[in-house]
Amino acid sequence: MPRRVWRWLREFWDDVRESMDASLLGIARFFGLLYGPIDRSLRIDQALKKALAYRLAPHVTWRHALGGITYLLLMVLVVTGVLLAFYYRPSAQEAHASIRFIVSEAPFGWLWRDLHVWAASLIVVVLLAHMARVFFTAAYKPPRETNWLLGFGLLVVVLAFGASGYLLPWDQWAYWTVTEALAVIGRVPLLGWFTDLVKGDDIVSGATLSRYFAIHVILLPWLLFALVGLHFGLVRRHGVAPPVEPPAAAKGGEPFYPNHLMRLLMAAAVVLAVAISAAALWPRPVGPVADPASPPAALVSTWVAVDVWRALAHFTGAIGIVLFGVLGLAMAALPLFDRSPERRLRHRPVAAGLGIAFFAVIILAWGMGRWLNVRTTKEPASQPAAAATASPVGGPAVLAPAAEPSIPQEGR
Amino acid sequence: MTLVRPWIALGVVGMAAALPADAQVPALGMDSSYGCTVCHAEHRRAFFTGVHAERGIRCHDCHGGNPTALERPAAHTGRFLGHPTKRQIATLCASCHSDPDRMRQYGLPTGQLAELHTSRHGQLLERGNPDAPTCTDCHESHLIRRTTDARSNTHPLNIPVLCARCHTDRTLMGKYGLRTNEFAEFAASAHGVALFQQENFAAPTCVGCHGSHSALPPGLTQVTDVCGHCHTLVRDAFARGPHGPVAARGAMQGCLACHGNHATVVVPSDSLAETCTRCHAAGTAQATLGVQLEERLVRAEGELHEAEAAIASLVRAGRDVVDARLRLRTARTAYLQIAQVEHSLDLDALDDLGLVVATATQAIGAAEESALEQRWEHKLLLVPVWFLALAVVVLAWFRLSEAQRPAGPEGRSR
Repeated sequence: MPRRVWRWLREFWDDVRESMDASLLGIARFFGLLYGPIDRSLRIDQALKKALAYRLAPHVTWRHALGGITYLLLMVLVVTGVLLAFYYRPSAQEAHASIRFIVSEAPFGWLWRDLHVWAASLIVVVLLAHMARVFFTAAYKPPRETNWLLGFGLLVVVLAFGASGYLLPWDQWAYWTVTEALAVIGRVPLLGWFTDLVKGDDIVSGATLSRYFAIHVILLPWLLFALVGLHFGLVRRHGVAPPVEPPAAAKGGEPFYPNHLMRLLMAAAVVLAVAISAAALWPRPVGPVADPASPPAALVSTWVAVDVWRALAHFTGAIGIVLFGVLGLAMAALPLFDRSPERRLRHRPVAAGLGIAFFAVIILAWGMGRWLNVRTTKEPASQPAAAATASPVGGPAVLAPAAEPSIPQEGR
Repeated sequence: MTLVRPWIALGVVGMAAALPADAQVPALGMDSSYGCTVCHAEHRRAFFTGVHAERGIRCHDCHGGNPTALERPAAHTGRFLGHPTKRQIATLCASCHSDPDRMRQYGLPTGQLAELHTSRHGQLLERGNPDAPTCTDCHESHLIRRTTDARSNTHPLNIPVLCARCHTDRTLMGKYGLRTNEFAEFAASAHGVALFQQENFAAPTCVGCHGSHSALPPGLTQVTDVCGHCHTLVRDAFARGPHGPVAARGAMQGCLACHGNHATVVVPSDSLAETCTRCHAAGTAQATLGVQLEERLVRAEGELHEAEAAIASLVRAGRDVVDARLRLRTARTAYLQIAQVEHSLDLDALDDLGLVVATATQAIGAAEESALEQRWEHKLLLVPVWFLALAVVVLAWFRLSEAQRPAGPEGRSR
């Protein structure tokens, strides 16, 4: 019996192999699952072998894995996001209860939820590291400037994903962080219409939740896959940027399979294990349900970008946000005016200064944001429940719920 | 010109119509038909506002004189009183306020003057003592407001300050051998905190215990009943216990023995036994009872705190806490009863209630424990995850080093 099944499977595979067009591999390639060019004159399995044997440039190593890790985390977010969407209910009445159901009742709901939360923070960190690698090796210079812009667009989309997803738990921290952020953005001249548009109401309300949900699960995914496809297409079109200092003797590069694929596997295994560990060890606590009538005693940040945002908003106000936005736009537009072929960092001081300022502000603001978080969560320390556990990388910290009044003393 | 005139006429008619017929406050702040305020400008405000103005009680109703006259000799004629003395004031106010026929419509009591005579204040007033307060010393003389009006001296938040005007004056109080620290003690007391910081008007002010017009310190045997006005269940428990009859005899200060008078404090549960040793020597049966009481209270309080923390942690983990919250309410109710029953010093009754607290809080603790256990299971998942991840890394590493090994043409082709 097993022999028959085995034979049937082999026949099935032979049928598939004979009937499938090699250009189907182009779809996999479009989504970044294959790197090498597809030989459409071959049978699908032969074309796959040929594509896998494609040799990459010799200087491509671990540093170049950052983009791939970003993509992996994106996939984690897509998969966990879809699983969460099976249970999540996007209404002001049901959102919080559905989150509570997900983390306490739904099978492995806690894992999908906390993996989603942690991957959302990790992707920002890895994406910025990828961006820093591209920036400091000047890989954004012509002919790859379009891809730098696309990459910057992807950064904006990832941040928009996080910002729109941030409201969905519908707890006090989500509600009031979004309220605060919209208030600050609304004060920037010419941006008031934007905050009104995403709010859909005078205050953050059920209408806002619906809009944020639609943006998070309908609008942004389409945008994301379009940009990702274009990003990968341009990587293949122009190839990986050559090394900054060309080596004396260039040897032939290594084939994609097994050499690069093994490296990717190792990186992916470690990243996934790290993300799952973070999710299991530092789950995002469920905050008190959103109450538009009373801001919480302490606002807890649960996303790395919110740490950066809160530090900027707290220490510099709207002016600092606008200035940082201008710095970001300058970074985005960098390849449009920085077009000289010079790629050594020391010989391009203006660009280097700009980039260092950009990344330094982010790191500094992140540190300050964590400090703010720890400081504000320590304030209600009089309550026994206020044991705050701060955790690294935008991870969740714990806030004492203000709901429980202390022990009554009447009659004594 | 011919066109303008009808418009002016219409305008004047319109303005007149806009004014209510009985508008009491004229534009210039005075009523030119009433003579007193022409000279006594400082009382114009009282003339138009306050409860007496609302009811049409005017200057001449108390001071006499002729309000239709605009100049002095004529205005100060008739039954003119000018500045009444303190004793005259008391009788003057009482001429209306002791008249049940007049006060009936306002629902006001009429015994204030009689009460005043029973108080130390009234006794001094009778003797013509200039330090003695009369009606107007506490209720303003002209602009008198309701006690519900926060601007009134007799609003609950203002009463302690009002009494403190004299009762913090060392030279004045020194004459009568009275202390002056009552206000400071009260403000820091449980009652003072409830009143001033929480604006809880159920908390007593000075008059809650001493009476207002009949102000006197309650007698030693009365203390328990005075506190019992509000703390009825505690009073009952106290009366049941061994202290009750002793306090009724006047052999101990009742509630004050442990809680103080103006500086009323909640005795913290962990210093209960220490409080007993103020009267009962350590080692005596009574002091031991105190230690046993303290044990039970501290235990119940600790159990409540633990249950609160457990619920907070359940909430953070997204657990359903409806049941746990109801159990906590049960535990709190029992704890409140403990706080009352402990005044009877009945250990058995305390143990029964302590059992309720323990049962309810243990159920909450069990719910938290099961949640923690599940968190531990989540962490256990990391063992297979890391095992798999490391296996992938090791295998991939072998494959990579195999591929990188310089080999013959066959090795390369794999």
